[in-house]
Amino acid sequence: MVELIIVLVLLVGGYTFGTIAERRHVARLNARESANGSFLVTQVKSFPAFSKGSMSPQIVLAETVVASDYFKSFLAKLRWLFGGEVRSFHSLLERARRETTQRLVEQAQEHGYNAICNLRLVTADVGGSTASRKGAAMVAILGSATAYNYDAPSS
Amino acid sequence: MIVTNTETIAGYHIAEIKGLVQGNTVRAKHAGRDIAAGFKNLVGGELKGYTELLTESRRQAVERMLAQAQQLGANAIVNVRFTTSAVTAGAAELYAYGTAVIVQPA
Repeated sequence: MVELIIVLVLLVGGYTFGTIAERRHVARLNARESANGSFLVTQVKSFPAFSKGSMSPQIVLAETVVASDYFKSFLAKLRWLFGGEVRSFHSLLERARRETTQRLVEQAQEHGYNAICNLRLVTADVGGSTASRKGAAMVAILGSATAYNYDAPSS
Repeated sequence: MIVTNTETIAGYHIAEIKGLVQGNTVRAKHAGRDIAAGFKNLVGGELKGYTELLTESRRQAVERMLAQAQQLGANAIVNVRFTTSAVTAGAAELYAYGTAVIVQPA
């Protein structure tokens, strides 16, 4: 009986704080993305609009490790019974990728670049033996790109 | 040394190819961070401890790759790629590899 109450408390707590944290993170991501609106992000290798005579290109690296909350992991476990898309994790991975991309952009900006190309986002499972954990997923997104200067269109 | 993850570097041309260079690190999880991560697992969000761990691993792997390239006498590394693999439960290897070249301004 006590265990059931503990699980319920964890579920409710996880859901509440998880949702609050998620909304705050998404708001911050939106703010950063609109602030970096003129920054060119592509995943092609051909240095689009490369500005001749500018600084030599350089690699930028960023990574983000995110964890799901208890409620989401619980939902995912239920989904395991029936199969289908695990929607609860969709937002988690999307946020991790957006966060990694923004970190790459900010790093490139720090060094005086205004564009990145050949953006690569790779997923890594850093949960160790995920079966032993309390059931929450840990996912790492490793991002790399090449920063350069492009001819920004003057508005 | 110029390092890129593209095959070519805009504004430069490749004069000589020196060969494959690589660097890797194997890191184990930190017990303290693991416990903190356990708490974060309840509310979700970014695990800063693990992110730092991964950043440090990457930096070390790239450093080792750079050292190898310098030994070969290269002045740039192109087409750098990263892969990870779980070695044992609680330890992960990060492997960085690229092609060491000598570039000249185009």
